[in-house]
Amino acid sequence: MFSSMGEHAVAITRVAERQWHALEDDQVVGRGHVSHRPDGRLFLSIDAWHGAVFGHLAEAMLANLPRPLYTVVDEADLDLILQWEKAGFAPRRREWEYVVPTDPRITGLGSALPPPGVTILAVGGAEVGPLRVLDQVIRDEVEATTGWQDMPAEVLPGPDGTRLLDPAKYAVAACPDQYVGLVRVVPLPRQPRIGLIAVRSEARRRGIARALLAGVLGWAHRRGIETASADVNQSNGAAIALFEGVGARRASSNLELVLR
Amino acid sequence: MTKATRGIQLEGTVVECLRNATFRVELSNGHKVLAHISGKIRKNYIKILPYDRVLVEISPYDLTRGRILFRYRT
Repeated sequence: MFSSMGEHAVAITRVAERQWHALEDDQVVGRGHVSHRPDGRLFLSIDAWHGAVFGHLAEAMLANLPRPLYTVVDEADLDLILQWEKAGFAPRRREWEYVVPTDPRITGLGSALPPPGVTILAVGGAEVGPLRVLDQVIRDEVEATTGWQDMPAEVLPGPDGTRLLDPAKYAVAACPDQYVGLVRVVPLPRQPRIGLIAVRSEARRRGIARALLAGVLGWAHRRGIETASADVNQSNGAAIALFEGVGARRASSNLELVLR
Repeated sequence: MTKATRGIQLEGTVVECLRNATFRVELSNGHKVLAHISGKIRKNYIKILPYDRVLVEISPYDLTRGRILFRYRT
């Protein structure tokens, strides 16, 4: 596919099943890529130095891909959002990225104890068996309510339902007979990422999520880490209240766009 | 048919996160560029922080602009 862009001709080439290039004078001036999320959704990305090249890449890619299609942009990147909107994409949901302090003197979580009968097991302290049971219970509850399309990508089940559960990335709230809550942490060295915090429905409203958060942030603080990050769906009022209640501040937001 | 060439790619260090989804990156040659992050990095929710070592592609149209293609493990 050739397109005129001012004095230059830009050629759009599908160089692999999931990859497109925009070429100008045999130089790559734009790239498009499509990938499958574990839940089967198709996510696009386009990088181009000019809006016209972006438009040509989008046109070529959209002509060859099924619907719906998704992409993620930083909400502060207004030019990029405009390009996607020109291609027909519309906002679907928004996630705030919070920077969460770990110091208990700032979070006020130093005295956040779990309710009687519940123990917080630190990151890496959970047993795989009960963790897998809790994971399944929470997944069933999510499936019955909001659905997985609003959940973080890294906890999505694979197409065949398989998933890896690494106890080194979880802290859990444990009762004597079962686990009742979990928080997933990606232990990045400078700023751990809190990926999912969930409590099974019958154990909610007892301060367990707050105690889990206290455990994870305290764990990070003892390692000299000053902040963690967390992505929170703007429609999740409980999570927003939890994080803002410990002094977390919004640093940025990701916008998920869809073309149906 | 000639083989397509990539843009200039250089390693650098993120020195500042700016508010408009851009980063100031000091390249290995000492130059500083303003860089966006690539769509693939955004799609995979990879966070870029100050002091991160990154691979930057320089714009062929403006050598003060770039795009972060890869964040090295620290």
